[in-house]
Amino acid sequence: MRVPFSWLKQYVPELESPEVLEERLAGLGFETDRIERVFRIPQGVVFARVLEASPIPGTKLKRLVLDMGRAVEVVSGAENAREGIGVALALPGTELNGQKVGERVIQGVVSFGMALSPKELGVGEYGGGLLEFPEDALPPGTPLAEAWPEEVVLDLEVTPNRPDALGILGLAYDLHALGYALKEPEAPLATEAVPLPFGLKVEDPLGAPHFTLGYAFGLKVGPSPLWMQRALFAAGMRPISNVVDVTNYVMLERAQPMHAFDLRFIGEGILVRRARPGERLKTLDGVERTLSQEDLVIAGWRGEESFPVGLAGVMGGAESEVRGDTEAIALEVACFDPVSIRKTARRHGLRTEASYRFERGVDPLGQIPAQRRALSLLQALAGARVAEGILEAGNPKPPSPIPFRPEYANRLLGTQYPEAEQIAILKRLGCRVEGEGPYRVIPPSRRLDLRLEEDLVEEVARIQGYETIPLDLPAFFPAPDNRGVGRAYEKEGRLKEVLAGLGFQEVYTYSFTDPEEAPHFRLSPPPLRLLNPLSPEKAALRTHLFPGLLKVLRENLALDRPQRALLFEVGRAYRLEGSLVEEETHLAGLLFGEGVGLPHGEKLSGYPLLKGLLEAFFQRLGLAFQAEAHPYPFLHPGVSAQALVEGRALGFLGEVHPEVLRALELPKAWVFELTLPFPEKPFRFQDPSRYPQALRDLAVVVPEATPYAEVEGVIREAAGAYLEALSLFDLYQGPPLKPGEKSLAFHLRFRHPGRTLTDEEVDEAMERVFQAVRGRGWSIRG
Amino acid sequence: MLEEALEAIRKAPDLEALKALRARYLGKKGLLTQEMKALSQLPLEARKERGQRLNAWKEALEKALARREAELEEEALRRALEKERLDVSLPGVALFAGGLHPITLMERELVGIFRALGYEAVEGPEVESEFFNFDALNIPEHHPARDMWDTFWLEGKARVRGPLGEEAEGRLLLRTHTSPMQVRYMVAHTPPFRIVVPGRVFRFEQTDATHEAVFHQLEGLVVGEGITMAHLKGAIYELAQALFGPDSKVRFQPVYFPFVEPGAQFALWWPEGGKWLELGGAGMVHPKVFQAVDAYRQRLGLPPAYQGVTGFAFGLGVERLAMLRYGIPDIRYFFGGRLKFLEQFRGIL
Repeated sequence: MRVPFSWLKQYVPELESPEVLEERLAGLGFETDRIERVFRIPQGVVFARVLEASPIPGTKLKRLVLDMGRAVEVVSGAENAREGIGVALALPGTELNGQKVGERVIQGVVSFGMALSPKELGVGEYGGGLLEFPEDALPPGTPLAEAWPEEVVLDLEVTPNRPDALGILGLAYDLHALGYALKEPEAPLATEAVPLPFGLKVEDPLGAPHFTLGYAFGLKVGPSPLWMQRALFAAGMRPISNVVDVTNYVMLERAQPMHAFDLRFIGEGILVRRARPGERLKTLDGVERTLSQEDLVIAGWRGEESFPVGLAGVMGGAESEVRGDTEAIALEVACFDPVSIRKTARRHGLRTEASYRFERGVDPLGQIPAQRRALSLLQALAGARVAEGILEAGNPKPPSPIPFRPEYANRLLGTQYPEAEQIAILKRLGCRVEGEGPYRVIPPSRRLDLRLEEDLVEEVARIQGYETIPLDLPAFFPAPDNRGVGRAYEKEGRLKEVLAGLGFQEVYTYSFTDPEEAPHFRLSPPPLRLLNPLSPEKAALRTHLFPGLLKVLRENLALDRPQRALLFEVGRAYRLEGSLVEEETHLAGLLFGEGVGLPHGEKLSGYPLLKGLLEAFFQRLGLAFQAEAHPYPFLHPGVSAQALVEGRALGFLGEVHPEVLRALELPKAWVFELTLPFPEKPFRFQDPSRYPQALRDLAVVVPEATPYAEVEGVIREAAGAYLEALSLFDLYQGPPLKPGEKSLAFHLRFRHPGRTLTDEEVDEAMERVFQAVRGRGWSIRG
Repeated sequence: MLEEALEAIRKAPDLEALKALRARYLGKKGLLTQEMKALSQLPLEARKERGQRLNAWKEALEKALARREAELEEEALRRALEKERLDVSLPGVALFAGGLHPITLMERELVGIFRALGYEAVEGPEVESEFFNFDALNIPEHHPARDMWDTFWLEGKARVRGPLGEEAEGRLLLRTHTSPMQVRYMVAHTPPFRIVVPGRVFRFEQTDATHEAVFHQLEGLVVGEGITMAHLKGAIYELAQALFGPDSKVRFQPVYFPFVEPGAQFALWWPEGGKWLELGGAGMVHPKVFQAVDAYRQRLGLPPAYQGVTGFAFGLGVERLAMLRYGIPDIRYFFGGRLKFLEQFRGIL
């Protein structure tokens, strides 16, 4: 919210400076986004009265005769340029937005400077017409900068719990609680006992719990005085006319939106009801809207007929708006159901100053005071006569008392604020405090956020200042069911360390994926899609991490052409299991490029390197790891394996399918992806044997297609319990073997934990191995 | 003869030559050996005198041979070693040098700080239900407070699991903060406890140098009897001291988060940069959150556990700290995956 410093200072006269204000407001919980200095009115802009305005034939221009102390002629194209108003005149030679205003001849008229729009003067956004003042606003020729000095505006962030602070006066009340004197605006009002020329019916009291209608007549619509226009411009609104400006001014003052209806267009009165299906309304912004049954509308009525004249709490109708010849108005000041307003504003894509406030909530008892304040200003500024009576529907409830214990406040805050000080703070905030011991605190009705004792505790702390709360540390033993809850996280962290130690670089990639891209990766479409994605490429949630790693590779290749890469990511992947989302933590890795070796010599890379790294990884984790040939659509059919950890299938490893690589325009790459956490395996210490090893070698000839793992399995099983280690030291194909055969040569180490093995025992074991091998139809070589 | 022999030994070019010289003089048929054998034919007097001389010669030759042998062996070793000389400046086998992502590093530093204070780190799901992300945190539907979190919603009618594996109610979204874990954790555990929740969060927001749709938070939650706002300030003070040293301090200002009351935002004084860093939000757990937790526990058949306790919670952005700590100018680098960026963080162990 934009807060002009001078406006707030009217209610808090002791305010020192905008800088001090910023600090005080921060301490109260209102952060200033920025401080802006506005209204730098150039020297050479003076107040002038329009004496005469005549069209220049054949053009849309007008010749104006202005009184600026003396009469001068100016040409203007503004539609609202007319006799009897005051304008801002930039004299020739004035610097405006970096340009000098000249004395120009336009259509045969020598234009002595130019009459300015708010935009040209730099006070507002509006450039569609002249800035208009009452003609007697200032003595003609007065430099405008004198009457309209620079203003400092604080752009405040007001959190949704404090709708009361969406009015300048609400901030003043808070500052008052800090100790500043408060000067509330007065609302002197002379009323007349006249009958009200309209009725009021509220059909939906839930939608409009409190609704009031005031009556002002004998109005003279015209430009607002300088001070009000200045205040509105500074607050970021455009002055329209004195009547409309009053409604906006009072809204900005006390966070209570209101609307003036021209009496001529509401028939016999105002009816508050839900819209009928298909009903239409042209709103003030000129848009013709089709209403929904859920929209609350303000309708005028004639007999049985009723017709919408406003979208309640959001925007008035164009038909019934106040215009130049309006003489009498019905002034609506109401309290609406926030949810209903929010829905309507959303449905129509209309966020107005009014809807913004109503959806946060207005003071349920604030309508009559706001009526009086607005009517008083109308009387002063537009010569309004005001009816004594105000129509009222609904019975707003005053706030309920809240039990309050000062010692609870201290207990929650860890403070020692004296009881009397706490009560004094609540009183300064406008609360009524009843009782003693357990106090009963009745908050001011504008403070919708004060409902619970804790809310009052915050008030005490807020006004004392959070800096007065001491620092402390709690000491306690956690309840038993909290012990060890952090182990999974710690484990994951160490796992990352092990990977980094093996040479893997960690990357983070987005959780999003492009559903259209799934076929490129030979994956099924991702089942979880976003309702409101940022872009089509981020429209779904990933099912795998490896595509992200491939994309990282692609980007790095494009930018930096690395010769190799070894990447990993730990992140979530998302599946749908029936109607339940299964969110899994995955560990994925990628190998690309020349691998390891001497920079000037031979290299090792590809599947054997990736698998070796995984083997080292799982050895470090103390877990058994195996790769079994298994097809995956996205892997090379000949280099595609299922990863078994402690015998459980947890993922895959292999070479990326050539078609995937082609789709991404990538060279060969190898990936793995595993689901975490890994199985738990209890640690058991084994005393290493001190007895000698017995060594034997063995070469087995098997068909080419026989997997190594199968051969190893046969040997291990047959060799028995004392086979301590088995290692492959040669893999051979070629003569004298037959084509289609291969020879696998192993070292075997036997050892007994508790004694020396005899040669006979080892020979027996080897004999079992020979038999098992031959039993498979394989042969022993050599 | 002796002088000639000693000269030859001294000049023997290699071990072979030395061996030949030994044979020539001291071998079975060596010159000196012959002389020694000839002694027996000499008369006793002459034998004694010549015997002594020959022994002295033998001793001298043995000594010379040994010395020369040592010399030659040393020379041979020197040559052999010289042959094995390597250019030690040539690069070694090029293994890979890995590293961790800067967010992992920053998160680990933060978690480490709190672990030292007795907190344990737990994680929660990223796909979350509206109930845990909003409703249970006192952010009802149609409340303007929901505007504080721009949300990614999921299509369809799928559901997530609740804290005890049950099917949880509510539309699905990508969690907008780590705070839903407050509710999930409390439903499944009893106070008192101290936890931190690191994790990935999502905001429906266009990215630029300082905004990401996907980023990381660290949530803290301490619940027990007699937990105060002073304890909250103390926790954040410890964070400031651990991160920025003894000159750091903390600043708390009131702010609104629906799930805390009183609510605060906090800033750390960064002495090196000479400025306050607005780091996150905090406050005392709102009574409505405790009520929502106990109501949920009741539905699962668990006894209420959060009556009469108080607690504090805080949340902070990890990226912002990492950017500051490591001097990273653009938040988009974190998900950029560029190795030239990532490989720079290897020095941070």
